[in-house]
Amino acid sequence: MRPLLLLLVLLVLPCSALAEGFSGYAELKGFAYGERFAGEPYGAGWGTLYNKWEQRLGESQFTTSLRAEWITSPQSSPLVFDPADRKLRRPPLSVPELWLRVPLAGSHDLEVGRFQLGWGKTDGYSPADAFLPRDVTDPFADEKLPLWAVRLSGQEENLRYQAVLVPVTTPWRLPPLGSRNAPIASGALPAGTTFHEQDDAPPLPGFAALRLLATHGDWDLGVWARSGVRPAPILAFSLDPALQTGPVPVISVARRYPREHGVGVEVSRVAGPYVVRGEAAALFSTDPELGDALIGTLSVERGFGDGTLLVTLAGNAIDPPVDPTLLFDRGLLPALIVAWNQTEEWGAWKLVWDCGLKRGDGLLKAEVGYNVTDTWKVTVGGDLPYGSERGPLGALHGARRLVAALRRSW
Amino acid sequence: MIRNLAKLLLSVAAALLMPLYSTPTFAAPDARALLKESESRHRTKTQQYSGDLTVVNKEGKVRKKGWNSYRQGYAGDSKNLIRFTDPPEVKGVGFLSLPRPGSDNPDQWLYLPSMKRERRIAPQDRDASFVGTDFNYEDMEEFDHEKYKVSLQGEETIDGQPCWVITAIPLEKGSKSIYQKLILYLRKDILYLVREDLIRKGEKEQAKRLILSDIKNVEGHYVAARMEMTDLKKGSHTTVTLKQISFNRPQPASRFTLQNLTREGGD
Repeated sequence: MRPLLLLLVLLVLPCSALAEGFSGYAELKGFAYGERFAGEPYGAGWGTLYNKWEQRLGESQFTTSLRAEWITSPQSSPLVFDPADRKLRRPPLSVPELWLRVPLAGSHDLEVGRFQLGWGKTDGYSPADAFLPRDVTDPFADEKLPLWAVRLSGQEENLRYQAVLVPVTTPWRLPPLGSRNAPIASGALPAGTTFHEQDDAPPLPGFAALRLLATHGDWDLGVWARSGVRPAPILAFSLDPALQTGPVPVISVARRYPREHGVGVEVSRVAGPYVVRGEAAALFSTDPELGDALIGTLSVERGFGDGTLLVTLAGNAIDPPVDPTLLFDRGLLPALIVAWNQTEEWGAWKLVWDCGLKRGDGLLKAEVGYNVTDTWKVTVGGDLPYGSERGPLGALHGARRLVAALRRSW
Repeated sequence: MIRNLAKLLLSVAAALLMPLYSTPTFAAPDARALLKESESRHRTKTQQYSGDLTVVNKEGKVRKKGWNSYRQGYAGDSKNLIRFTDPPEVKGVGFLSLPRPGSDNPDQWLYLPSMKRERRIAPQDRDASFVGTDFNYEDMEEFDHEKYKVSLQGEETIDGQPCWVITAIPLEKGSKSIYQKLILYLRKDILYLVREDLIRKGEKEQAKRLILSDIKNVEGHYVAARMEMTDLKKGSHTTVTLKQISFNRPQPASRFTLQNLTREGGD
């Protein structure tokens, strides 16, 4: 027990590297919102303490991390044991990484544990990557959730493969419905409507996937296939008479997780100073509310000195059976995403424009990071969702905000 | 930034290729012959080192970065892997460069731990510098004397060491080079580059100066363990320090692969 306690102390407490494999950061964020929303205040705070421990074990690699958080708004759960992020709300303590990689041969590895996956080629939006679970407690953060998985990967000549088995579903984590961060427009419901979200356990089995990659000259090619439970939920709204005790309706919200199968191709090519990337994915589901999808993306990236301009177009050729905002990972499609990242002597800044091409809603995002030292960083920025409240971004008008953050890394 | 920095570090590898040996006597020194001799002598099959990069701007603000570098092969045929170790925000970022037969541009990928995937990157503009360091892409390229008209200007003593002074002017009219002239200082005894003055096109005064110092003999190979590029106009300078240098150690075949690039916590 004592070693475990010591490990927890070492992981949670910020310290100079006690061993070569320790790293982490402490961060304080403050949010100032443009309006009060559903009784939520103008300001909010978010504190994070993150520690990571990496250790070589011969030729193997062991990595674990522990994150402790404090959030002012009611978006986190009490202290619960949720090792797979399957609960409705964000736990104050979590283990983002806990994995062991064992080499099987020269260029073949077996990885077991909890880790993040990164798929696809296109930036801004990738149909291969968008499927993976995200925590949208902060809807503008694009935070991917790690998975409990087994991954076999390797390379022979110019061919690579990744076979992934995810035995446990880690679902998308949504903000409290009806809050300023909820992806559902409150205007679509009677004023004062409240939600009763059921903390349904997602199905246990996850999904399996295979990805093959090849490199030939300027071309990087890939194909993938996956099958299993889709991490993004289908929300089922109902009126439970037992809950209707006051003057405003109480809507019960359950979550379903249909099965989905998908195949996709990825292409990336260098063309002079440009990198052109594209993806196409065909997704199949017998669920009547999810249906099929045929998603394509095309992105162009160009470097300009210390800056990079990225333009991505993404769309779904098949209209979904339900409002696409309820499908989360394809809610914004068709979309145009433009991002400019620039490094300066003092730090960096970026501008991002996400534009929904169907409903005309979008998001303007700006961020400036100032490196006080190599380990202290101050970031200020803003998120400005705009446009039709029927769109997934326009619906977030109540979440327009300014952000300031102070981070200390070690 | 990281992609630029990674590419910069290839220049460090290039600098390590600067030859050094006990030098023969050049009875009638000829700039071309000197450079050819210098270029041809110091070739190692592999090389690895740890490096620190320090940038000091004109206000005296200091930025540091650390990385590990592995190289196999020589010049345009070399394979390179760079893995950042410091500061924490870039720890684990990897850069892989593989030669492509028949092409001047190698294939290059960047691995970002935050994205959990590698990304192919395009060659950059030669005159694109990256803020925070005083190098640009042309500075990173290995010096190919055949692309320059070279002439011996004379001799000069640098830090107590007699040196040949050679000017190099781009051969092609309308050359892509952002410089109109380079002035090279080769140590006479070991034919090793110890200083380079760079003069931009359309300017009379030199824009930058590269100083290579702390020259060591490591496993029979001379190497400058310290390189400092000064931007004489900005008043800033970037210092690269090499540690744990080794040559001709066998590199595992799997090291210069995309599979290895994406191994978090790996080389």
